[in-house]
Parts: sequence; structure tokens; C-alpha cells
Amino acid sequence: MKLRKVLRSWHRDLGYFIVGMTIVYALSGIFLNHRHDINPDYNIYTAEFTVEKGPAENFTKAKIISVMEKLPYDLKYKKHYINNDGLVKVFIESGELAINPSTGEGVLRYLERRPLIFEMNKLHKATLGTTWKWVSDLMAFILLFVAISGIFLLKGKRGFLRWGVWWLVAGFVVPLGFALILI
Amino acid sequence: MRKIAFLSLLTVVLFACGQKASKEENKSAEAPKEAVVLTVDEVLEQAPELADQQIVVKGTVFHVCQHGGQRCFLMGSTEDQSIRIEAGEKIGAFQQEQMGSELEITGILKEVKTEADAHNPGAEHGEVEHEEDAETQEAHNIIAENQAAAERVFFIEGASVKEL
Repeated sequence: MKLRKVLRSWHRDLGYFIVGMTIVYALSGIFLNHRHDINPDYNIYTAEFTVEKGPAENFTKAKIISVMEKLPYDLKYKKHYINNDGLVKVFIESGELAINPSTGEGVLRYLERRPLIFEMNKLHKATLGTTWKWVSDLMAFILLFVAISGIFLLKGKRGFLRWGVWWLVAGFVVPLGFALILI
Repeated sequence: MRKIAFLSLLTVVLFACGQKASKEENKSAEAPKEAVVLTVDEVLEQAPELADQQIVVKGTVFHVCQHGGQRCFLMGSTEDQSIRIEAGEKIGAFQQEQMGSELEITGILKEVKTEADAHNPGAEHGEVEHEEDAETQEAHNIIAENQAAAERVFFIEGASVKEL
């Protein structure tokens, strides 16, 4: 049948085309699923340290920079202020420090973007502005086309009606079952 | 087949050039207007009069929502003076690296009137965030206290952002 032949070639070409975006959706999807267990975008490192006690006002920019130099990672100072609890809050280029001047205890929170995954998550969540939103919609439609057209490609014993339909039903049953039970 | 790959590449390159050109156009178009830039304290003081108007506000980012950066909070003269900025479609998202940065946000000042407008710190999309670290917990407490102390709560629907 001619329609099947046309469908096959479109399925093949768009299938190749959508591989990259499928990888993006799938990999970032795993990280986003676990967003309550881990930060999907950043690796977060924390380190505790101690400094000389003293009044909060004594923590000048120069003093804070000298404290930062002794800490791990290449920390770059942005600004600092004394918060309502009397802690010295320091903003650095990728994270922050909190110093309790009365005890001398401090905590560093350093963020590092997850290579590739950070960018993939942004693509997945379509937080790159309006143009990407529409391109992403197009990608999703292509993915939908590849999935649906795939149903009609094979004839015979392993075709949709004699074989594929059961796989298709099974694929619907899993999410539908969870939805019915949990929603 | 090579043509298709080349065409895709060309589309992306043209788009990138278009983006750069429109950014430059925006810069030159915005410059002569010289909109009044308000501090966070000024916005909070004049909020009822400025509601539903486009404003430009400047402040230090003291918290960026961890799950996707869809909103950030700008701090005024103290931690008690803060306002929520929704990134929306135009800004997309704020980055964690913007914490502590001085941002100039252009957007519409809106009052929280319904639950949909509200943001309950510690919750994203109706889900409770788990395993908050101490800093995030502290930031959420400050935001919640500020909201509870305010008679009327306002936020800004961001349209553009400039890092100072």
C-alpha cells in the first residue's frame, strides 16, 4: 500500500531527526523525576569551617576574602550582609557562605552545574524563551508522529492487529493503572 | 541528507543572529526612555498605587527557587524588605548563580489576590519540597514571615532582566 510506504519513509527520517531530542527528554526526565531527592540542575557541595570569633561588623570584605582563600574550590566574593539572626551571609559567584560570628562556625554551600544535564533540563522545561517553546512543541509533535506512525508500519504476524496491539495495550495499562490508583 | 543537516545548522545560526540583533535593538530602544528605577523598599511603599503598572525595580537576589528557578526574591535595604519576581515565559528562569547579584527587573507589579497568584515558600507546583538544606529553609522562613507581616502581598511578573 502506498500510504504505508510514505509513512515508512517519514517515520524513518523523522525518527532519525528526533533521536537527539528524545535523548534530551529521556535523560533530563530521569533527573527531573528525582528532583525531590537531588537538585536536578546542580551538584551542591557543603563544607563546614571555623573562623575567629568576633563582632559581625568585624567581618569586612577583606577578612571574608581571606577566609574564602582557605576554603576548597575557587570562590569568588560578590557581597555580604548581616542578616536578622546576626549571621554574616556571604554571596559568592556559585553559592553562599553563612558565618556565625559569635561561635565562629561557618558553612559553605557551593554549586556546580551538572555538565550537559543542566542544559538538557532547560531544554526539557522550555525555559529558554518563546521561540524555543514553539520549537519544542514541534519536536514533541514529531515524536508523537514517530510513535503513532510506528504502529502502522508492519503487516502480518508481527503487525499491529495480531501482535502490536497487545504491546500497545500494555504500554497504556501501566501509566493508566498508576493514574487510576494514585490520582 | 547532508543538506538537511546543513539546513538545520543554518536555521540555528540565523536564529542566533536574529536574537543578537533584537537584543541590540532593545538596548537602543530602551535607552532613551530612561524609566525610573525603583528600589525594593520604594516599590513596597508605593505598591498599592503602582499595582498593575509596568515598573523597573533594582535589588539584590537573596533567593532563587531551587526547582527550575521560576522565581527569585529581591532584597531591599534589609531582609524584611523583599519582593517575589516571577520569571514567566519572557525571562524563562533565574539561575542559582544569580544569588547575590544586583538585578534590574522590568515587569508588571501585581497583587496576590488568589491562591494561584500566591507562592508558598517550601512548595512548588503544589508539591512540598523535600530535604531542604538549611540555607533554603532559612530563606523560605524569611519570605513567609515577610508575607505574613504584609497587609497586602505584591509580586512582579517579570518581562526582562538586566544584571548590573
